[in-house]
Amino acid sequence: MDIWALVERGVRRAEALGATEAEVYAVREETLTVRGNVRGVESIEGGETVHVYMRIAVGKRFSVQGGLVSRAEDVDSIAESAVKIARLSPEDPNWVSLPKRLGSTPVFDVVDSAVKSLEPERFVDIVKRALEMPRELDRRAFATEALASAAVIAKAIGNSYQPPVSCELTSFSFSVDVKAVEGGFESGFYSYYSAPTLKEFRLENIVVYTTRIAVDTLKAKRVETGTYKVLLMPRVFSSILGTLLVPAVRADVVQKKRSPLAGKLFSQVLSEQLTVIDDGAVPNMPGSAPFDDEGVATRRKAVFDKGILRTYLYDTYTANIDNRESTGNARRVGASNTYPDATNILVLPGTSPLDSLVKDMGRGIVVHGTIGEWLSNPVSGYLNATVTHGFLVEGGEVKQAVKGVVVAGDAYKLLKEGLVALSKEFEAIGNFMTPAALLQGVSVAGE
Amino acid sequence: MSVSTDFGKEVLARALGRGVDEAVVRLQERVYEFIVFDSGVLRSYSVSRVVGLGVGVFVKGFAGYAYTSMLSREGVEQAVDRAVKLAKGLSVSGKAVRLASVEGSKTVFRVAYSQNPLDVDPSEKASLVRDLNKIAMGVEGVVSAVTRLACEVDRRVVVSSLGAEAFSEVVAVGVSNLSVARFGEVMERVHDQKTFIGGYENVKSFDWSSFVEDISRLAVKASQARVPPPGTYRAVIDNQLIGLMLHEAFGHASEGDYVMYKSSVLCGRLGTKVASDLVAIIDDGLAEGGYPVAFDDEGVAKRRVTVVEDGVLKGFLTNRQASHELGVEASGNARAQDITYKPIVRQTNFYMAPRDVRVEELFEGVSEGIYLRGRGAMGGQVDIAMGTFTFSAGPSYMIRRGEPAELVRGVVVSGNILETLMNVELVARDLMITTSVFGGCGKDGQMVRVGDGGPHIRVSRIVVGGG
Repeated sequence: MDIWALVERGVRRAEALGATEAEVYAVREETLTVRGNVRGVESIEGGETVHVYMRIAVGKRFSVQGGLVSRAEDVDSIAESAVKIARLSPEDPNWVSLPKRLGSTPVFDVVDSAVKSLEPERFVDIVKRALEMPRELDRRAFATEALASAAVIAKAIGNSYQPPVSCELTSFSFSVDVKAVEGGFESGFYSYYSAPTLKEFRLENIVVYTTRIAVDTLKAKRVETGTYKVLLMPRVFSSILGTLLVPAVRADVVQKKRSPLAGKLFSQVLSEQLTVIDDGAVPNMPGSAPFDDEGVATRRKAVFDKGILRTYLYDTYTANIDNRESTGNARRVGASNTYPDATNILVLPGTSPLDSLVKDMGRGIVVHGTIGEWLSNPVSGYLNATVTHGFLVEGGEVKQAVKGVVVAGDAYKLLKEGLVALSKEFEAIGNFMTPAALLQGVSVAGE
Repeated sequence: MSVSTDFGKEVLARALGRGVDEAVVRLQERVYEFIVFDSGVLRSYSVSRVVGLGVGVFVKGFAGYAYTSMLSREGVEQAVDRAVKLAKGLSVSGKAVRLASVEGSKTVFRVAYSQNPLDVDPSEKASLVRDLNKIAMGVEGVVSAVTRLACEVDRRVVVSSLGAEAFSEVVAVGVSNLSVARFGEVMERVHDQKTFIGGYENVKSFDWSSFVEDISRLAVKASQARVPPPGTYRAVIDNQLIGLMLHEAFGHASEGDYVMYKSSVLCGRLGTKVASDLVAIIDDGLAEGGYPVAFDDEGVAKRRVTVVEDGVLKGFLTNRQASHELGVEASGNARAQDITYKPIVRQTNFYMAPRDVRVEELFEGVSEGIYLRGRGAMGGQVDIAMGTFTFSAGPSYMIRRGEPAELVRGVVVSGNILETLMNVELVARDLMITTSVFGGCGKDGQMVRVGDGGPHIRVSRIVVGGG
């Protein structure tokens, strides 16, 4: 099925049925996934799907429908059902229109011919090597699971105002789980990597780091309850930003009064050390694409400039409410209405080398892994995360490995008054690129 | 082409005609309707569909899986070709798998209902959600509320070369509400949902007004509450939260694939003591209040599994491979979100069995502790290799002098599941199991509907994070 043709067919059909506006989003995806475990590579799977989603307005009444389609005619029945439901839905007084300007931003390194080939052998080799390496690095370690997956994605979006825009992307992801066992002690650590291409993928670096943390935290235990300095490594820092900061700058969350950053535009919300950029067109990052999920061209914007909140993230619907332009941040998950969300989040690094941050932090905890940080409360801005992999440091020396303690606090206070420094080293973790962050005054619940 | 066992058998014949040793064909058609009112405005009225087929094949022990949404003759042919190609490709550098030989399930399972929720007039459903959202917003102190209605009809067919010819149709409906309240500079939210397995008649007969109003009132009270001092407490845990904790922290560790691949804290512990004598844990596909699973996505009948009995680890949840590798009976726990995923070992309705103590007795003698509540809990996460868990509880109560005292907010608990289950002091008699049509359990990127629950229990110590 030609996805461009599906878009044009859907828009025409919906308009013929009485839709005043129609938008069709079609995606063809072909995937390959290779999984390995302690026994080797046991599983390989792949497939091909076409999804079509339609957003239909009849005046200020609208509905969203779609899903997997089996044949081109399915688009007609989606249109029929969507128009029928839109007619019967109550009006949305905030509805203005679908986007009237679609476009594409040039984006580099979002297609990789090796990924696109979906050749199983290449990905089987990656998984096999990831399974072998930990034991070679340390006799106490072994990989319990490794996964490599690749996808080729073609997208087309069009609406009643504009002909379709389309693009092709590739996606590669990798993960590895390493377990360490010694004298009745056990530990495990997990790492993942995701990008459109294999260009910056360094299997060895990932597996070495994962193995080292698994082994070094074998005898981890709790520390005393108290207030500590905490150094959040990039993967932990990015996860906390994703849980607490990103929802708070979504315009829909602000407009519905669920953000602690409502009414704080142009005020100093974070430390001057923090500049946070949303950029949907960074080369080789998984959140990059020429346009967002309603066809508006992606772009770069500073959300926090030296700690000052400069903008919220908008799709067309929320931009219309605030009488502004979309920032190219529309996201849709399945047959959902669009909502604004981050594309790629870049935190500009600091000037301190990581080593010197550890050496100079006095008594504190270096955190490499947490669980449950996503349970923190974006409405109140309250951070809670359980440390699974950390190290207690005193005078620059590691004193013990730490696990099972809860770090907590008001994230905005911590990121404003509590931020001591950002490292000059940074890391790409999914659609985040961040340095490590040293915070002071963090509450730690332990023994 | 429709989702029927006849179509499944036709695809199975094509796969077996390609010289494979075994094959499993899955067909699915799921429709999910979702209405959202956000602070007085209709934010979404959406209908999503999943339709397609998945084919799993085994060639000399090597496994390949392929799927397609295109049910044309050509689409089906390509999916079968792809599955066979992947299995044969794996024979060069992969590992063969061995599977328990289990007779396939011949089952027709249909949830009884009198009114298909998808046939109800859209304006009637939208009006209900709008009215409930207005009630939620009407409570003084509430600044924002999101009310949702979800209706789902999920039809699945599994046909296999081991004789499975199974069909299930599950119908589910539910309402959820999130209320956000502000008190001074503090904002607090409470979310809850209620799901019925059955038709729209369940929606009509329930008092949803009180349900959403209670959520809003709790959010307002929580916004005025303080955060508990961090530390270690004796705790009473309610039915909802113990269900969530068991599912995340123990249920996943009991999944046979994790055990087989040595990534579970329960690996090598079969027959050993893993909990207090008072603890019994069950996984039951057809438990009352849960999400019905009569057979799994490998076509194996779902069997009720006693995972823990009198504190001793008695069993694991398995697919056919884990059953063979671990030497335990196949339990019918191979489940997939939809046809675009290969089935993996999942829980169904995982819960702690009740004992005979009254709930009030759990509070007796607790001079200072915490009553951890599930309503408004946001979920949890566990490191199954180590057994470390963390959960966000809903608004909870301090316990003082043997009784629930003041409300506290922002409660996060943390610990090691084996230590925590060893610390179970009392188990009440009030078993409750629930499910949700709004979400489920995530694993390897797949989400499946599950149920969980248990009675109230008391533990002697648990770490509580707070401000």
